[in-house]
Amino acid sequence: MPPSPPNTEEETESLDSEISTIRAELKALHHRRRILTNSLLTSRPLQRLAKSHLPSPTTATVARTAPTWTDLSPLLHTSARHADLNHHRIAFATTAFPFTDPAPGPSAVKDLLGVRIDICARDGAYVKPYYILLRRVGLHTTTTAAERQQQQQQTGGRGRGNRVLSVHRHTVPAVVDLGALERVYLPRGKAGDAAGEEEEGEGEGEPQHAKEEAAPRKPWKHPPLQQNLRGFLREVRRQLVVWHVRCDGVRYLRERLGVVRRGGDSDEADGVWERDVLAEDPTQETKIAKNALGIVALGATAREAVYVRVEWEDGRVGRFKISNAGLVERAVVMGDHGRDKWMEAVMTGGNGRLETLLDRLRKYAAESKVSAAASVEDGASQTASEA
Amino acid sequence: MARSKAIRAPTTASLPSNLRIPSSTPSLVKTFGKLTRQALLDLVFQWLEDANVHHFPPYLQANEGSKGEEEGDDDGLRPYPAERTINGVRNAYQELQFRKGGKREVIDRILEGDWRHGITLRQLAMVDLRYMDDHPSGLRWTALELARIDNSSSNESSACIPRVHASTFLSSLQQQISPLVKAHYHLARSTSLPLTVLRVFVTTSPYQIAPRQSVESLTDSSRTIYVAFPDSCPFFYTSMASPQTASKAGPAPPNSLVATDARSLQRLVRDAIPKALSLPHQRYTVKPTSLTAKSLEALLALRGPGRSNHANGAFSIFADAALEGSPLDPRPSNTVSPEEHNRQSASVHSKDSAGKENTATDAKDVTLENKRASKRSLDSSKESGTSKKRTLALQSRFGTSGTLSSAPLDRLDVRLLDALPADAKPTEHAQQPTVSLTFAGTDVIGGIRKLAELGVIDAERMPSWMTGEEGVSVVVVREGRRVTKAGR
Repeated sequence: MPPSPPNTEEETESLDSEISTIRAELKALHHRRRILTNSLLTSRPLQRLAKSHLPSPTTATVARTAPTWTDLSPLLHTSARHADLNHHRIAFATTAFPFTDPAPGPSAVKDLLGVRIDICARDGAYVKPYYILLRRVGLHTTTTAAERQQQQQQTGGRGRGNRVLSVHRHTVPAVVDLGALERVYLPRGKAGDAAGEEEEGEGEGEPQHAKEEAAPRKPWKHPPLQQNLRGFLREVRRQLVVWHVRCDGVRYLRERLGVVRRGGDSDEADGVWERDVLAEDPTQETKIAKNALGIVALGATAREAVYVRVEWEDGRVGRFKISNAGLVERAVVMGDHGRDKWMEAVMTGGNGRLETLLDRLRKYAAESKVSAAASVEDGASQTASEA
Repeated sequence: MARSKAIRAPTTASLPSNLRIPSSTPSLVKTFGKLTRQALLDLVFQWLEDANVHHFPPYLQANEGSKGEEEGDDDGLRPYPAERTINGVRNAYQELQFRKGGKREVIDRILEGDWRHGITLRQLAMVDLRYMDDHPSGLRWTALELARIDNSSSNESSACIPRVHASTFLSSLQQQISPLVKAHYHLARSTSLPLTVLRVFVTTSPYQIAPRQSVESLTDSSRTIYVAFPDSCPFFYTSMASPQTASKAGPAPPNSLVATDARSLQRLVRDAIPKALSLPHQRYTVKPTSLTAKSLEALLALRGPGRSNHANGAFSIFADAALEGSPLDPRPSNTVSPEEHNRQSASVHSKDSAGKENTATDAKDVTLENKRASKRSLDSSKESGTSKKRTLALQSRFGTSGTLSSAPLDRLDVRLLDALPADAKPTEHAQQPTVSLTFAGTDVIGGIRKLAELGVIDAERMPSWMTGEEGVSVVVVREGRRVTKAGR
């Protein structure tokens, strides 16, 4: 009996899927092997061993006699360096590196100072690092001769090099207003503003004024604006960390309540389907799973995750603000009969932490249930006594 | 039903969403015809959902009884007899869903059958927005930046991202626009992109009920303005009236006193938006950002909420985090391919990246021990014989733009302000010649990358605006560097 055509189709399909799963497995194993190899290379005992065996520079010939270590040493060396780099990134979170702009031009313009900010997320993994590339201003080719002279005077006065920095490129999302921070911490009042103002955009009239004031007649009245790179980076990092903490907090609350994805997990169509702005896939519609608290929706109002909107089954709508310290700073709950001050007090009360918000709500719900039962009993006893 | 006697007084109210356009309007067929059959059916099911059906009531037999005198007679002639219940209407479209066929029968069914009493403005808006979702590069968009007017109080740490509360925003926008023109507003969330889209349809008449003869103007696409608000960033995008439709609308109807061509109407709406977003002590103004593109994805990449606003071209390696891995990765970063870096850091939250693996990256993983830079070029260098040096230059100049991330610009206008080569005496050319270049295509930067790959353009010596580093579509260049008004 010959196999029927649908059977062969099924067979090929199953074979295909098998092949792809095996491929994926192979890939995962390759990946794991690489991770393990590199972990092994960076492991402490091996590194110590390598260092103890490392030939001193004078006895390079001796090294040749130990072929195993010379074969391994470049790998070991790079691994050791990489591990060092990673330790710095983990420990200090903000690390600097040099970067050369590949665009043609004088090298003074091309040399950039890169800053990398690593932030650890809630699940222990690191988010994509944020980069800020700074460049020195005033060394631009389009500066006029007079300005150049002036700069030379300035640099001569200050010692080596012009240290006025400006943000050239960055990958900080719009949630953190880098432009405003730059204006505060890296003012460029005195330097030549000829370098293109990519960051500032168009139509800004200030640089002209700045240029006019570049040579102050009364320098004692206008002390030169000091740039504070450390402060700038500290503030940028702080705001990024705070943003991530807020996002993680809101995600945590949503996960505690349970998130149902549309189409995937359940087939019930009713309920409030919403798109979570903090989700990886912003087009995925989700909703909060049915819970005892009666919350049907909870989510950040914007990617900043400063304000969180809550909606209850009974039509009450609340909104609370997360402070930079991770506290529920303010809360407003509106029901059909005006504000629900009790709920607001519960939300901001206690230790005020965002993470314990649901516990507070649960406690409040339990208490109110008890009191409601008590009042019902009271009413019953009253009616009984009246009767 | 004494419609002719109704008093027509100019009001400041917006056009109601339930204002019906007669289904016999020929341009409706064209508007509906832009959508695919499936999209049309989806829309109809959306209209017939329990929560929405009172906004878009279909024509039922019960309605017929009340208007029997008017059009009861010809019901037998109509191809689509009116259904009795809403469920009946639903079933009819379910049938269409299961049957194969053209979209024309769906359109006919909508216009001549279930909504023969007219298509509301809201339905029309939904049709337009659905078309936009399906064709994200159907319009030209201009990115504009919102900025605080008083820069003095910039000490506060939070970013200047206006919070849009839909109904408040719409009512204040209406307050701004209504004294000038009458408009219909429709605010909706894009289904495919993280955008909130506002569709403003502007009429010139201040009267509530449009006169009979101007029914055609209710479907005039040049009077429709789209404004897209990306999530949490100080930008918004407006759709440009393409020059061709603007010229068509140029000879405005003679009875209009104000300038009512599409361009001025558009300016009106655009000016009203920052005012509508402003709050007391928090005034916004609009700044141009020299970016116009057809693709909304490009706008989101270059003026969006993400990482890549200020890191393009050579710097896209930073935006994609394709340079180095996470600090917990024990592998030296130069042995890991950029794709892997990107994928790995992206999968921090979505663990399902295993599903995306394909054989192409498999092949690349075999060559992992090579240097990072030459890796991606390996297969391409085999086929086209590109030299290693050139691919290296290409990598460094374009970064990952065009491979990992792409922001296709369909047009790039460049003005070169450079003087002629120095052999001519400066006195001879008192007026400087300016050279204007215009690149057009589906992806200009990608095209330039391709040319550099083929060796037509020297990747090492080309100026940075050719790599898309500036993230703009209109550039003024001097000595290879972008010049802005502030700079010179």
